[in-house]
Amino acid sequence: MSAIPVTVLTGYLGAGKTTLLNRILSEPHGKRFAVIVNEFGEIGIDNDLVVGADQEVFEMNNGCICCTVRGDLIRIIGGLLKRKDAFDGILIETTGLADPAPVAQTFFVDPDVSKRTRMDGIVTVADARHLAQRLDDSHEAQEQIAFADVILLNKIDLVDEAGIVVLEHRIRSMNPFARIRRTERCSVALDEVIGLGAFDLDRVLAMEPGFLGEDDHEHDQSVTSVSLQEDRALDPAAFDQWFRTLIQVQGVDLLRYKGILSFKGSDRRTVVQGVHMLADSGNLSVWPAGLPRTSRFVLIGRNLDGGALRAGFAACVAP
Amino acid sequence: MNGSEGGTRLHPLERHMDAAAYVVSVKVNRAGSHAAAVLGDGAAWLIDLTDSSAAPAVVHAHDGACLALARDIDGNGFLTGGDDGKLRRIAPGQAAETLAEVKGRWIEHVDCCPRSRLRAYSAGRQVHLLDLSGHGSAPALDHPSTVGSLAFAPNGKRLAVAHYGGASLWWTGRPGPPSRLDWKGSHLGVLWHPDGTHLMTTLQESGLHGWRLRDKADMQMSGYATKVRSMGWTNRSRYLATGGAESVVCWPFFGGGPWQKQPLQLAGTAGGLITVVAPHPKEPVIAAGHDDGRLLIAPTDGTAPVAIAAPDGSPISALAWSDDGRHLLAGTEAGRLSWFPIPAGR
Ligand SMILES: [Zn+2]
Ligand SMILES: [Zn+2]
Repeated sequence: MSAIPVTVLTGYLGAGKTTLLNRILSEPHGKRFAVIVNEFGEIGIDNDLVVGADQEVFEMNNGCICCTVRGDLIRIIGGLLKRKDAFDGILIETTGLADPAPVAQTFFVDPDVSKRTRMDGIVTVADARHLAQRLDDSHEAQEQIAFADVILLNKIDLVDEAGIVVLEHRIRSMNPFARIRRTERCSVALDEVIGLGAFDLDRVLAMEPGFLGEDDHEHDQSVTSVSLQEDRALDPAAFDQWFRTLIQVQGVDLLRYKGILSFKGSDRRTVVQGVHMLADSGNLSVWPAGLPRTSRFVLIGRNLDGGALRAGFAACVAP
Repeated sequence: MNGSEGGTRLHPLERHMDAAAYVVSVKVNRAGSHAAAVLGDGAAWLIDLTDSSAAPAVVHAHDGACLALARDIDGNGFLTGGDDGKLRRIAPGQAAETLAEVKGRWIEHVDCCPRSRLRAYSAGRQVHLLDLSGHGSAPALDHPSTVGSLAFAPNGKRLAVAHYGGASLWWTGRPGPPSRLDWKGSHLGVLWHPDGTHLMTTLQESGLHGWRLRDKADMQMSGYATKVRSMGWTNRSRYLATGGAESVVCWPFFGGGPWQKQPLQLAGTAGGLITVVAPHPKEPVIAAGHDDGRLLIAPTDGTAPVAIAAPDGSPISALAWSDDGRHLLAGTEAGRLSWFPIPAGR
């Protein structure tokens, strides 16, 4: 039984999230989606697989404030999965004010959900007119950008080109992973928002190398990204120790991270990705012959000390 | 639909049916005459246990998926809850009827109590009580989160409801706030001790919790490989048998247990998981369903278990005995539905 892909739609009220949802549901792609919405009535399409969410964020027993899951999603997805072959994918709409972390973490934590579904990607719809203001005054808006795999910079017809360029630059400095798409009325090809496989470890390998070193000036904002790079092979034990300590100590601040690592004694690429304190890793394909085995690790979060992270990562180099 | 063409038959009397949809739950009615299996495609299959040649009656119970099944107050019927927001009653030879409807919500948990002659069902955070005539007998009972499960006490005087942060105990005969049993975490399943002395819950994060109600003494049972989705009392309530591990984990409730006692571990297969357990109502044996479809009958004395269904790759999702222990019914996620008559005198 193949895992059912799940797409999460985030974005502030009025940014165009519902427009995107209706677009995904109405275009003739031949796929059926189950939809978990936060409010009924906003979906204009007849669909008997629309379920209202309860937004129940549950703390996990470790007592950590970042370790939360969406209890209602576990329950709803469990119920939906009893309908065999009824749908090809699940769309989850979050409220405008939601932090995407509990949703993403649900797919790491719950054994039934993680076995039967896979997180495909987080799509954030942002209103180009208001995004700058939102990022200045709202934690949740920052998180929605930081967690995104795709960001639709919507309503660009209402903003001038210079303004869009500034916004894109700001988004890029917060989240170097995300694809940014300029849209009017969320008009985007569907394969840009569904079928991403953004949480699949082997897709992490597709991280574009060009994101490094693009941005070396300070930004006055709390969510930033730090890109680490190392050409010498790493010591697995040293990296493990450093990384475990990092997510224990700073997991609350780490929003998302992805890395492709070269370990001494291994010809395979090791991939790491995660959300807060929940990380996933695996050994993937062998390094291509004749090319440098460069380890890359990118972290998105708050209060990131680039100097300390660089020093810690460099100290993992194998002797 | 019937017959036993495919697969290996390990039990000579097994009747195999292909329901072709997720078997959500199976129960035998109080009279012992019929079993009902409710499915992920909204159908309920009624199986006449007195006539092994009769084809099951397939009833359209819900638009969508069936989510819950309980034996109704009488000997004959069953109540079902579905993701169409309906509570329905089905009974052999009778037309299905809708007893309640909650628009836009799922009815996920249902229980009935012949002693208090009450029915209870949950939709979201609310539990509703219905009397035999189908009338709501009280205002809805509110909970701090979506209800994880509910169960009437054996004497019918109380209703236990599991939710995030613990369980609520309501008096069924009079209004008033519930007493709360607090324990951190999301509580998903609930089960009374047959004497009404203990209440057990299963937790989202791998394990069980329990309270001895006399003094609210806590019990914590952990160390499971995954979420515990099934538990039941062995005959004479000696052990609490549970799924969620490689073997059936049985906690002793005698000789001062379960505190400071090691559980029995039965019917294990390396690398496998027990998904559903169903202790026999009269004999010291437990039916144990595995995540590969294997079904074993394990004696609690630790002697070798007997396989009655071979692995077919789909997890056992539902198991039930008739009250007299003469029939065992089993269902899988892929829709294999099996009826095992147990010959008399065994
Ligand atoms: Zn945490
Ligand atoms: Zn910049």
